[in-house]
Amino acid sequence: MRVGLIEHPPWVIRANGEPRGVEVELVRQFANELGTTPEWHWGGAQQQMEALEHYGLDLVIGGFTSRSPWKDYVGFTAPYFEESIRVAAPPGTSVKTVKGVQVIAEDDWAASLLQEEGATVIRVNQIQSVTGPVAAADWRLQTLNVTNTDIELDRVKHVMAAPPGENGFIKRLDEFLHQKRPSLVSMLQQEASQNEIAR
Amino acid sequence: MKLPGDPFRLPPDKRPASDRAKRLEWLTIIFILSIIGVISAVMGASQTMKAMWVEDVLSLIPPIAFLVGRYFSDKAPDQQFLYGYRRTVSIAFLSAATALLGLGLYVLIDSVAKLVFGEAPTIQTVELFGHRVWLGWLMIAALIYSIIPPLILGRMKLPLATELHDKALQTDANINKGDWLAGLAGIFGIVGIAYGYWWSDSVAAILISAEILRDGISDMRNSIAQLMNRRPTSVDGKEDDPVPAKIEEELQRLSWVKKARARLREDGDVLTGEVFVVPQDEHSLLDRLQQATDVAHRVDWRLYDVNVVPVRSLEP
Repeated sequence: MRVGLIEHPPWVIRANGEPRGVEVELVRQFANELGTTPEWHWGGAQQQMEALEHYGLDLVIGGFTSRSPWKDYVGFTAPYFEESIRVAAPPGTSVKTVKGVQVIAEDDWAASLLQEEGATVIRVNQIQSVTGPVAAADWRLQTLNVTNTDIELDRVKHVMAAPPGENGFIKRLDEFLHQKRPSLVSMLQQEASQNEIAR
Repeated sequence: MKLPGDPFRLPPDKRPASDRAKRLEWLTIIFILSIIGVISAVMGASQTMKAMWVEDVLSLIPPIAFLVGRYFSDKAPDQQFLYGYRRTVSIAFLSAATALLGLGLYVLIDSVAKLVFGEAPTIQTVELFGHRVWLGWLMIAALIYSIIPPLILGRMKLPLATELHDKALQTDANINKGDWLAGLAGIFGIVGIAYGYWWSDSVAAILISAEILRDGISDMRNSIAQLMNRRPTSVDGKEDDPVPAKIEEELQRLSWVKKARARLREDGDVLTGEVFVVPQDEHSLLDRLQQATDVAHRVDWRLYDVNVVPVRSLEP
């Protein structure tokens, strides 16, 4: 199985040339279930998607969401994981709005959403000790000592990309990913903590 | 005695049929809206489903045109619109048919392009009661649902269309009756995808859009013909309406009438226009014309606002 990889932590991580990450792990297990082994191909999004569109690859992963503009050219799986970017605060403090408030973010996505809402973004490499409001994915916030607020910045549905019209293959993958859904949050959290150790 | 400008009133014996037709048309609209909702919910990337969606939106036009027409036909002419509001229906019909013809054409071209470029439709699975179900199966269920109610309603409406001589109702009943073929083509299209024939989706969509174009063109032709005052026809449009000839016959039976010729047009279900008569002489002409007008109107219940015009001769 030819699998195209586009770097996008924590879904697809390139560590010393070896692929790692939540989606890489899922695809390894899926290939195993099909009785085959994945053959990894690193590349950029444009190149990988065009190869997929013309059946040069069997699968492309890279943290795609259902909003991807490639959806008209390739065949996406059904959404297998929903992620919500939220604002949280240390216990005991409350945040009603992020407008004009200093908020900590550890990735560009959360940072850009905060900027749009008029927050003052403090960009860090890794959220460690939380002293004020933070913005991150819901599964990430669970690992921090914070309480959620009602502020949701965005909500995305994760998908993988297959060649167009490979409906049988996509159905099997959908079923596999559906089975794995309960373990995804812990896989993501583990990946994030490994990242921490690596640093 | 009828005066010019009086609104048309349906004869009492036709009212039950008209009320029943109105109820059935409301029911049709409700069912079609629910069908459109179901189809939208499971549409996915399927070309077939896109075509079916257009087809169903198209089949909303005739019931709406019928109901709007019934509403306006009760409305009396006023200072601005001296001939009344009956033609609103033909205008509504024409513009809606034109719009949907465009949509049908778009789906046709789009499907042909997808077929030519070999674009395979991707249909995913959805979660249903904790299971992953292929969306295609739900599409088929939606298509089956889209076939049955219109088929039944179409059969119920056809006799009413004849009784009320209403072409909007007739068109509508025919479209409802004919839709099952499109639905069946759609089911074959989706089943084809399930068995790995990617092209079956586009082929089914092409068949359905051909059906849309057929319906759209016939709607357009009918409304243009009515706006152009075509010679009245029977409700199925196949034969000439016998009423004009009957009026000529009845008037010529009057002793003072030498010759009569009717020139009528259809305004929805109503027949209107002029009857030219050549009198033997001009003796008490006004009374005679009044008598002739009454005789003409009695020929058929659909006659409305018919003017009897005395002329010296009908030959050039």
